[in-house]
Amino acid sequence: MQPFVFPRWTNKFVHLGGAVLGLAPIYVIGLVWYAASPKTTDVGYAPEQPVPYSHALHAGELGMDCRYCHNTVEQTGHAAIPATETCMNCHQRIHTRSPKLEPVRQSASSGQSIEWTKVHDLPDYAYFNHSVHVSQGIGCASCHGRIDTMEVVFQHETLSMGWCLDCHRAPEQHLRPKDEITNMAYAPSGGQTQLAQGQLLRAEHHINPPTDCSTCHR
Amino acid sequence: MNDDSRYWRSLSERANPDDQAPTPEFEVPLEPPTSEERRRFLQITGASIALAGTSACRWQEDKLLPHVQQPEGTMPGVPRYFMTAMELGGAAVGLRVKSYDGRPIKVDGNPSHPDSLGATNAQHQASVLGLYDPDRSTSFARITGGAVQRATEVEFRVFAREHFRGLVERRGQGLAVLSGATSSPSVSDMKRRWQSRFPEARWYEYEAAETGHDRAGSTLAFGNAHRTHFDLRKARVIVALDADLIACRPDSLALARAWAAGREPEAGSMNRLYAFESSLSETGSAADHRFSLRSEHIKALAAHLDAELTRRLSPSGELGPAQPLPAAKFLEDEALRKIVNAMLGDLAANRGASLVAVGPAQPPEVHAVVHRINALLGNVGVTLHYTSLGADPKPSPVESLASLVLELSAGNVQTLLILDTNPAYTNPADIDFAAAMARATTKIHQGLYVDETALCCDWHVSQAHFLETWGDVRASDGTISIQQPLIAPLYSGKSPIELLAILSADELSEGQAIVQRTLGAVAADTRLWRKSVHDGIVPGSAFPRERPVLRALAPFSYAPNELSGSDVDAADLELVLIADPRLHDGRFANNGWLQELPETVTKLTWDNALLLSPKTASLLGVQDNTTVSVSVDGRSLTVPAMLSPGQAPGSVKLHLGFGRTAAGSVGGHSGTPEPSPLVGVNAYQLRSKRLWSFGRGAVVKPTGDGYRLATTQDKHSMDRIGKFGTQDRLPMLVREANLSEYQEKPDFAQHMVHHPPLLSLWKEPVKYDAAKWGMSIDLNKCTGCSGCVVACQAENNIPVVGKERVAMGREMHWLRIDRYFKGDPEQPETTHQPVPCMQCEHAPCEQVCPVGATTHSQEGLNDMTYNRCIGTRYCSNNCPYKVRRFNYFNFHEDLKDEKNQVKSMAFNPEVTVRFRGVMEKCTYCVQRIQDTKIRATRENRGIEDGEITTACQDACPTQAIWFGDINDSDSRIAKLKANSRDYSLLEELNVRPRTTYLARVKNPHPELA
Repeated sequence: MQPFVFPRWTNKFVHLGGAVLGLAPIYVIGLVWYAASPKTTDVGYAPEQPVPYSHALHAGELGMDCRYCHNTVEQTGHAAIPATETCMNCHQRIHTRSPKLEPVRQSASSGQSIEWTKVHDLPDYAYFNHSVHVSQGIGCASCHGRIDTMEVVFQHETLSMGWCLDCHRAPEQHLRPKDEITNMAYAPSGGQTQLAQGQLLRAEHHINPPTDCSTCHR
Repeated sequence: MNDDSRYWRSLSERANPDDQAPTPEFEVPLEPPTSEERRRFLQITGASIALAGTSACRWQEDKLLPHVQQPEGTMPGVPRYFMTAMELGGAAVGLRVKSYDGRPIKVDGNPSHPDSLGATNAQHQASVLGLYDPDRSTSFARITGGAVQRATEVEFRVFAREHFRGLVERRGQGLAVLSGATSSPSVSDMKRRWQSRFPEARWYEYEAAETGHDRAGSTLAFGNAHRTHFDLRKARVIVALDADLIACRPDSLALARAWAAGREPEAGSMNRLYAFESSLSETGSAADHRFSLRSEHIKALAAHLDAELTRRLSPSGELGPAQPLPAAKFLEDEALRKIVNAMLGDLAANRGASLVAVGPAQPPEVHAVVHRINALLGNVGVTLHYTSLGADPKPSPVESLASLVLELSAGNVQTLLILDTNPAYTNPADIDFAAAMARATTKIHQGLYVDETALCCDWHVSQAHFLETWGDVRASDGTISIQQPLIAPLYSGKSPIELLAILSADELSEGQAIVQRTLGAVAADTRLWRKSVHDGIVPGSAFPRERPVLRALAPFSYAPNELSGSDVDAADLELVLIADPRLHDGRFANNGWLQELPETVTKLTWDNALLLSPKTASLLGVQDNTTVSVSVDGRSLTVPAMLSPGQAPGSVKLHLGFGRTAAGSVGGHSGTPEPSPLVGVNAYQLRSKRLWSFGRGAVVKPTGDGYRLATTQDKHSMDRIGKFGTQDRLPMLVREANLSEYQEKPDFAQHMVHHPPLLSLWKEPVKYDAAKWGMSIDLNKCTGCSGCVVACQAENNIPVVGKERVAMGREMHWLRIDRYFKGDPEQPETTHQPVPCMQCEHAPCEQVCPVGATTHSQEGLNDMTYNRCIGTRYCSNNCPYKVRRFNYFNFHEDLKDEKNQVKSMAFNPEVTVRFRGVMEKCTYCVQRIQDTKIRATRENRGIEDGEITTACQDACPTQAIWFGDINDSDSRIAKLKANSRDYSLLEELNVRPRTTYLARVKNPHPELA
């Protein structure tokens, strides 16, 4: 039986193969650049909201605690968006005629919810729980950035799985004392580095975040 | 190869144990779907979340809609639990319902309810799907000649005010009400008010699944009607005469728990259960001695027991004369005689600690004689007690329906109100209800669906689901449960008491107010009311116990067939008609979870079939997967036949509740706009006043046509070397022994398989020093009831796939219950074995996944990461237990239809809804593990034993399934694992399963062992 021989015309694929090989690094660089770009990861995503609510004013200038509005953050998975009545607690006396607050007043009188647009939006197959992070000493700013300086809230981190795992594998880089959770401008005191303090806190509170798939996916 | 000590799963396997035909080359046979199949499949796919978009939503904008005013005590994403109760056939079981952001999504038992004790059955579990059924009636409707025209509530009220005002003037003459059986005090109260407003009106009650024989039997025995309540905990010897004690009574969940309490060989002794029945039931499969006996023979057997026990115990004369010994030919059977004699000895030796129970299908006189037997044995007040049903006589369901039809035909009824019952479908063939009701000029129907009866009416009122309404219902022992709404009515439905209030111009209109008025003192005491609503039971509301005096019973007169031998007369078979254990009388026919749930014994889904024993079948020339024509009393029906081991010779059985013509898109409907195929055949067409539960005269003839039944037992075989290996290993899979063998060698189960030392190929990569989750399943307690299967489906958003997929072996249940037979197919022994994912420590599935979608956790779980899965199915091929399930299609495609979106409300938001091409399997309810871990971490504490439960464990009536942390040496699971009966499935493979089994220990009579 004749052994199989590739026909002569297939030779041009060898040259083509060389060209592909030459272009491959450019392709790989392009792929990584694209996949990691803020456009893909949505860092900086800042949708327009129905009410131009300023965190810079409320949390920054006025110094309101995050938990005044996001009051369920310590007990539940969700750091709930406040009910309209929470806004109205103040705004039935303050800026009662501001046109910017019209949707809030309308919601309060009609009973219809305000439709906020979700900024930090994880995929549906990832189950994140605020309460357990907050209770173990992860500050709001670690994931959300300096909300107290944001006129319009934007996504500060990639919220990618790798980013989650970075912290789950080395939580000492972000751990802080439990009474400093909502302190946006927090920095370790007494000249300690974050790492040193984080390691102390980690040992003290026995913090060993799981990295199993089922921690977040189920 | 037909050695009688062998196990087998189906008759074909028993006949050809070496048949290699379905080798596991393809785990499931590949068949291209036809377009017709696909359409059907899309119609019926059930149950899962639409959870906006399916995968990453990064580019999809999501909206957040907070409350305007946050309701007190609520937090988004934190489930709350409320007690309510579900009534079926006049008795209620208390439930604890999980409400997630205002949506009821999961039902469990109320631990303090006497008929639940925390457990639930498949019907309770499936009630959530029923609530969100898009086929439910959505409005008031005017119906003319079967054409449904939506109407508003105002239109109905205008009509009702006018119409019923006229009736008030005529003192209700010509008015009749037909309702289902209910225990509700509020309905009784409304009925009383109704009767004072319409004194001439008549009220009828019809419950197709009931016989009324227990009531009539106790009247025969005591002079007036009594209920019988059992306490199986105190019974050492239990005899079930055609009685499915642990499955088919309103208090079966509690009875199963009590029975299981006496099944712990570690305690030194166990109860002993004898069952005599025409068709293999759960009780029969749990029995230590079971004998297949035609239902007609139970009467003579009961008389025999009465006579023999009276002779042996020679009681004082106050019980009256015993039945004379019947000269029954079937009693001459050697095997039966041996069992009966052993049982008589057991009963006589256990006076005051035994129990004889008889099923509702048996005629009243058999009930009466069983009351005498129990009195004779001194069981009254110990293992059973009585409560009074009141002095008022109550007709049986069939008498009730017949007298209404008589009135209708005579033209005495002009206005007919039908509440929550479907007599145009459930009527026996010799009572033509639909024709009779046409004589009434105004017919009003209330129901959850526009069903067969509604289509014969003039008005339809949409009924609110029990999860949407206030109500009050009683448990079998009389304990009142208050039903509270978990959600506002989705379709502006009314509860029956609210409708009665409208029609009788009551001053109250709200269900809650009516219930409070009825419960008077309970409602007036705010603290007591709140406590009763919170706890789900009104304390101290059970019926008082009675000690009725037995009257002398007349000796039985027998029809010739009742004394006949057990030989088969092909021209005169016994036909048994009984409500389907899943669909009940047909009311749950549109519930995909129940339709697809494999029946406990036959493992049949999506159909009813004529069950006949292999011997009867071969006499009649009937084969599996063919159709036969059944004729009785001049009526005939073509049905698929199924050979069913344990069926009594000469007795054939057919389940009621199938063949609905107006159930919905799942259960079948023949009407507009788009007909949907009917499911099964309507066995009511064979039922008659004479043949209500069972009777002679049936003729079965093969038609020669084939029919494909979708059963599940031959699928997912745990095979190492293909099917021919099965025979060798079945005794290794199911391990059982007798009590005496156990006492001699308590670790018998651990010595049934011999294998070389199990060494690992690698160093142990994981230490499991935190938690080590494990599960133990006690085969001694599993009754095969399948409540766990539906509980798992509800908890984990498992889709319904339809009959064609099930027939191809593609059902999605994460937990299956394998049923094994042993011995003679006419008198088989039966074992049930639930098989979830074993969560192997050396998991074969993990090693073959090319994308790391299934991985090992630090706590020993085999995590399944759906978003990584690319659907190679390697894991499933490599799984020795065959517990992985593959999404061949997007089973939630029907949610795209706006009408079906309501279904997505039933889903558990804590569990991902899987898409096409993704593998899935049991996760030990990992969402519950994570939730509890998070809570414990937040509160800086450890997890307590028993704090995490799996859905299957919660549902289990006998607590056969237990879950926990094996590392915690004080935990119950650690103790179960240390039990000498503990064994692993296929331990020789060294995969180290975390789910292990406790071997079954039977307690046969020493003389029969």
